[in-house]
Amino acid sequence: MSRKGQTAMFPTDSAVSLRGVTKTFEQWQRDNTGKGLLKNLLKPEKRVVTALDDVSFEIGRGEFAAYAGPNGAGKSTTMKLLAGMLLPSSGEISALGLSPQKRRRALMRRLGVLFGNRTELWWDHPVIQSFAWKKAVWDIPDGQYRENLAMVTELLDLGDLLKTFARELSLGQRMRADLAMLLLHSPELILLDEPTLGLDVVAKRQMIRFLRQLNEREGTTIVVTSHDMDDLEEMARRILLISHGKIAFDGDFAALREELGCTKTAIVHFQDGTRREIAYQETKRVLREIAELDGVADVRFTQTSLEEGLANLFARWKERGR
Amino acid sequence: MADRITLKRILRLWGISARLDLAWLLRDTKYAIAGICADIISNLSTVSGVFLIAARFGGIGGMSADEVLFMMAYSTLVTGIFILFGSGNNIHISRIIGRGQLEHLFIQPLPLGVQLLTSGFAPFTGGSNCVAGVVLMAVAVSRLGLAVTFGWVVSLIAYLLATMTIIAARSYLLSTLAFYAPAAAEEISWTAIDGTWFMSTFPLSGMPLFIQIPLLTVLPEGLMAWFPSLSLLGRPPLGLTGAYPMVFALLIAAAAGYIFRKGLKHYVTKGSNRYVPYGFRR
Repeated sequence: MSRKGQTAMFPTDSAVSLRGVTKTFEQWQRDNTGKGLLKNLLKPEKRVVTALDDVSFEIGRGEFAAYAGPNGAGKSTTMKLLAGMLLPSSGEISALGLSPQKRRRALMRRLGVLFGNRTELWWDHPVIQSFAWKKAVWDIPDGQYRENLAMVTELLDLGDLLKTFARELSLGQRMRADLAMLLLHSPELILLDEPTLGLDVVAKRQMIRFLRQLNEREGTTIVVTSHDMDDLEEMARRILLISHGKIAFDGDFAALREELGCTKTAIVHFQDGTRREIAYQETKRVLREIAELDGVADVRFTQTSLEEGLANLFARWKERGR
Repeated sequence: MADRITLKRILRLWGISARLDLAWLLRDTKYAIAGICADIISNLSTVSGVFLIAARFGGIGGMSADEVLFMMAYSTLVTGIFILFGSGNNIHISRIIGRGQLEHLFIQPLPLGVQLLTSGFAPFTGGSNCVAGVVLMAVAVSRLGLAVTFGWVVSLIAYLLATMTIIAARSYLLSTLAFYAPAAAEEISWTAIDGTWFMSTFPLSGMPLFIQIPLLTVLPEGLMAWFPSLSLLGRPPLGLTGAYPMVFALLIAAAAGYIFRKGLKHYVTKGSNRYVPYGFRR
């Protein structure tokens, strides 16, 4: 397809679309010597960092996609570009068919964005006061506000939290309140950057369950980043792996496991105290094989975690400078 | 959902800011009252010092004690309006830029200008100086025997608008530096506004020209109260037209708008590697 043709097709009807997006930043460099300090005064040294390098992908409406990668891979940059907080160096971006850079206001009525290390709540007010502020700023009609408030209060178990001052919430409670506030204007697309950051097991489970329900029941498109692969696998159906500014993998989690060479092993313990490890792909076949063995005392099934597989992969990428 | 910015919409946004302000005041009333009293005492002591000198010596530099009182009233009104509309770092914009907090504004479906105009409105915790200014103004007007006509009130509002524009524009002009040096310039708007605020309450009449002219141009403290007050009393200083503050306000606002937009472009192109999670919402 010609470049002209591509432009004519843009923006697409996908929930998220990036086409040939590159984003570079400059980083100041300085050593700790007197010469370095003097040089910095006269001619500061800058290094160009390519956060995104000709990245293209699409996420369809109603998808729940995970966006993962090592630190500094370009995940947050992508989120900021999609939310209109940054301009790309080159390439085209569209969210819900709108350019985040040119139609920011229109897009913000339909998009919700949450960074795990930031809050939109008013610090010295009860949570419900922040919600009232959101209603006024987003100009949310009364009926829609009441309906959404009831929905998030029930599903996110906000209850007494609504009357609690934001500064007195625990991290998990704060994240729930922030997420609830994000949903008050019924966003069609939600961008979540590290939403489970620092949450304990209970809070994490609650957050994951809620996001899945939201995606399945309301058809809301969700793009989520996290370092926790187990969380991502539980939430999303598709995963995009980014490394050094390039999309290194795009597919489902089963394909990723295969790509990573994650193995499944059945560890069979015998009555005489010995054990045997059987690597397998198909569960049915390995169960049949174990059933035919004599003197089996116990069986344990294990598989290499995605986390482990990815850690190895990221290390290999680092070695290769990919 | 309406996407047009109408006066009604702006009033609603001021309304929610006022509700938040009231809720904040009622959160802990004794501290809020202490804060309001401290503001009034601090501001009145600044202006009363100059007034007492004028009263003791029968005026300052050709201005009578009552004219000095009028100037102090104007200055108190300016301070009051500044606190009334600028209590959310929306005028101290270098703090928002330097702390990497503009992104909180980008995600709202409102033009940045509307957000900045409406987000710092604090009538309950910030209105006391304004009330003190109005009372002082009424006393000064009465003592001077001024005829308060509709035209005079319009002139007063126009001068107050010009003064506020100059304060905000000067802050935005210097705050642009925070786009390029976020940590170093985080508090530069404070320097631009509060750093020289005390000079704005000093009557410049009788000062040599080499002091008056810079204070009406490069460092426009003379436009904060002295020039507008004398213009409202019917004798603009230095033979200049009474419209000079308005012209100056327009020019500095145009310059600030142009330079600030360039800084904003730099911000969205280069991004900010700094983020401070406090101070953008109280």
